[in-house]
Formats: sequence, C-alpha cells, structure tokens
Amino acid sequence: MVDWDYVIGLTLRYSVIISVTLIIIGLVLFHVKNEALGCSSALLLSPTSPINTSMIPPNTALTRLPSLDPLSFILLGLMTLIAAQVLRVALGVASFVMERDWLYVLLTSIVFLNLMLAIFILPSILHLHVNELALRVLCPSGSLTT
Amino acid sequence: MFSLESLFCCLELLIFSIIAGLLGSLTGLGGGTVLVPILTLFLGIPIAYAAGASLISTIATSSGAASAYIRDKITNVRIGMGLNMGTTTGSILGSLTAAYIYSHNLAWVIYVIFGIVILLSIIPTVQRGKYEIPDPRPPDWTTRVFKLYGSYYDKALKSEVRYWGVRWWLGLLIMFFAGFISGLLGIGAGALKVLGMDWAMNLPMKVSTTTSNFIIGVTAATGSSLYWYFGYIQPLMASITAVGVLIGAMSGTRILVRITNKQVRWIFLAILAYLGMASLLRGLYYGHVISIPIITQYLLSVLFMGVLMSTLYYIYGIKMRTVNNTVRGGRNG
Repeated sequence: MVDWDYVIGLTLRYSVIISVTLIIIGLVLFHVKNEALGCSSALLLSPTSPINTSMIPPNTALTRLPSLDPLSFILLGLMTLIAAQVLRVALGVASFVMERDWLYVLLTSIVFLNLMLAIFILPSILHLHVNELALRVLCPSGSLTT
Repeated sequence: MFSLESLFCCLELLIFSIIAGLLGSLTGLGGGTVLVPILTLFLGIPIAYAAGASLISTIATSSGAASAYIRDKITNVRIGMGLNMGTTTGSILGSLTAAYIYSHNLAWVIYVIFGIVILLSIIPTVQRGKYEIPDPRPPDWTTRVFKLYGSYYDKALKSEVRYWGVRWWLGLLIMFFAGFISGLLGIGAGALKVLGMDWAMNLPMKVSTTTSNFIIGVTAATGSSLYWYFGYIQPLMASITAVGVLIGAMSGTRILVRITNKQVRWIFLAILAYLGMASLLRGLYYGHVISIPIITQYLLSVLFMGVLMSTLYYIYGIKMRTVNNTVRGGRNG
C-alpha cells in the first residue's frame, strides 16, 4: 500500500528545494547580468518598482529560460511553490479515492476546485489580462517584441 | 555587476526577512505577520507588495516545515484537507476584497486591520502552551461523519495519544474567516487557525499547530495566485523574502527546542505590541484620521509597548510565579 502522507511530504520537500535552487540561480544571474527581461536593475530593485507579476506573461518568462534570463528562473521558482500545493491537493484527492472515502473525495475536490478558480477561472472571468505592453514601454531594451 | 547600493538593498531585505522568519516561528505566528509591518514601516515598501511577498514566503515555510511534520505523523491530513475547503474559499474572497481596497486607494484600511490583528494576536501568544492535551469532550455527530479521529506518538509524554475532534462546522467557520484574513492581509493567519482547531474542535495543541501549518500552504497558494494576476507580487522582492523567511523559520525551529525560557517570550510580545501599534497609527495617519507626525508615531508605539508590557508582566509574570502550576488549563476551562 502507498503511504500517501509520506509521498505528500516528499513532494513538498523536493518542491521547496527545487524552488529555492531556481530562485538562487535567478538571483546569481541577476547579479551577473544586472538586468532581467530587458529591465535595468535599478528599476527592478526599487521598493516601489512598477515591474510586477501583472506585467510579465508566464509564457514569455518561461521561453526566456534558455537565454538564462534571471527573472525567468525566479518566476519559475515561484510557480513551483504554488504548483506543489496544487499537486499536494491532487494527491489528496487520489488518496481518498483509493480509500473509497467519498465524503473526503468531495471535500478535497472542492479545495482543488477553489485552487483552479484562483489560478485559471477567476482571472479569466474578471478579465485580468497580463499587461505586456507596459513591460515593453518600461523596459524597451528587452527583445519581447519578437 | 551590481552597484554597491543595490547589493546593500538586497542584503537589507534578506536580513529583515530572516528576522521576520525567526520571530514568526518563535512566536508561532508565522513569518508574514511580522514581515509585512517590518517591510512597510522600515523599508518603505508598498503594503500590497509586502503582502504579496509575505504570501509567497508563507507557502515556502509551510512546504518546508510540512515534510518534517508529516513524517512525525502528528499532522492530521484528513482534518487538514476538510478544513482547507473553508480556508481556500475565504482566501479567494479575502484576495478579491484586498484588490478592491487597493484599487480604490484605501490601503490605509489594510494598515489599520493589520495593526488590530497583531494586537489581538498578543492574547493567544500570552496564553499559549499552557496545556498539551485538552480535556476530552464527548464526540458529537461531526466526529463520526467527518472521521475526526486520530492518534500520534508524543515524544515528551512517551506515550501514544489518542484524540478526536468535535464541532467540525464551528472549526470550518473559523477557518473561513482565517482564510479571509489570509487573503486580505497576505499572511498565514496561523493564530486564527490554531484557534479553530484548538478551541473550537478541541484537538491537541501539537495536532493543531502542525495541521495548521499544512492548511496554511494551500491557503496561501490560493491567495497568491490571485495576487499574481493583480500584480501584488514583485518577483525579485518576493523571492528574496521567501529565501530569508525560510532561513529564519528553519533556524527558529532549531532555537525553539533549546529555549523554553518564559522570559524570552516577553521580548517577542514587546515586538508584536510595537509593530501592531505602529501599523495601526500609520494606517490612521494615511487615512487622515489622525495627523501625528511619523516620528511621534514611533514614540507613541514605544510608549504603548512599555505600558502594555508592564501591565502584562504585572498580571501574568508576577501572578504566574505565585500560582505557578495551578494555572494549568484553568483559563480556557
């Protein structure tokens, strides 16, 4: 029999290790390159920096991983943290299905649905689009236009 | 390469985050509760960014601690998953409320609520850790239907502790509120979650705290996804604070094993009193409710801290020394 608690525990542990590793790679790259996604370090490091997650499309960020863009690594690290929690809830649903505990399959599915609401459904209902144009204006030296 | 100034900026952020993580884990409130006021009051970071960074740090610390707790088999995954239904729903509503508040330039409201939440969390921190195992209550229908049974091996008591939860509905209700606060302020709201499980559901302290840690991760992931779209997450800031809080929290748990000295707790309470008052005053100032200069706000907060600490020390410190062990479990009755 699978020890689900153990599997969930390991998932979380590895996700944190992977995430922190990605973040640290990103920070080191940022230190070396002094820019990310075409934005200067001064713009990114200001406490009131205008560059935030509402301007960086996840796809754009991820496609720049091969070109060793610092922000791409950092964002992937942050996404890993959230994704691990989604995975944990999904594993929870699976474990209750295996136990044939239908009440808890329902309760855990609602948790999963809530996560999906927050990640995919609500943003599209509320038309929360990523403002890529603002990033292009603020950081013109990035090759995001391609 | 970086200019010296920006390197200093990053280091400053890292050090403040480590301190917040340390304090958070030593008080049991979680990194965010201390992190947000520190970032806004001392580093001039907008409260929306501080809240976003705090939520990310909360997921990191929750995930980091969870694997250890789950291995110890103290966390009750079933109870945690069930209650997560309440927290994630609350978190969605809380995040949307936060977005409404920020987009209408009402950030001062967040400062005020934050101050109140911190000041109120002093109460459970003072009373914390009086007893390990609650007086048993007779199981009710929710105990049976939601299978709120469990057992764990207690290393300190050197025995298997069997327990069961009651009043699941009340726990869920408090969890919903905790989730709302978590989404609204960008914190884990651990104190509220422990209240839900410890007080409402009558679960042992160890089960409450470890299961609460489990719940916090999923709740914060829900909130931070919405924060992501609203643009409250500044990637660089969030990643530095996440690493810092994680380091602080990890070292905090190591230190916690060594210090059981009650005197040390007074220092944490003092910091909470100061941050709570400073945040409250700053909020009222930004909302044009009061017009006290910022330097006077700091002084007033220090004064408040002094008065509160002497009062608490008089009530608890001196009384506890005379009554000592008879207080055990008495107050919550």
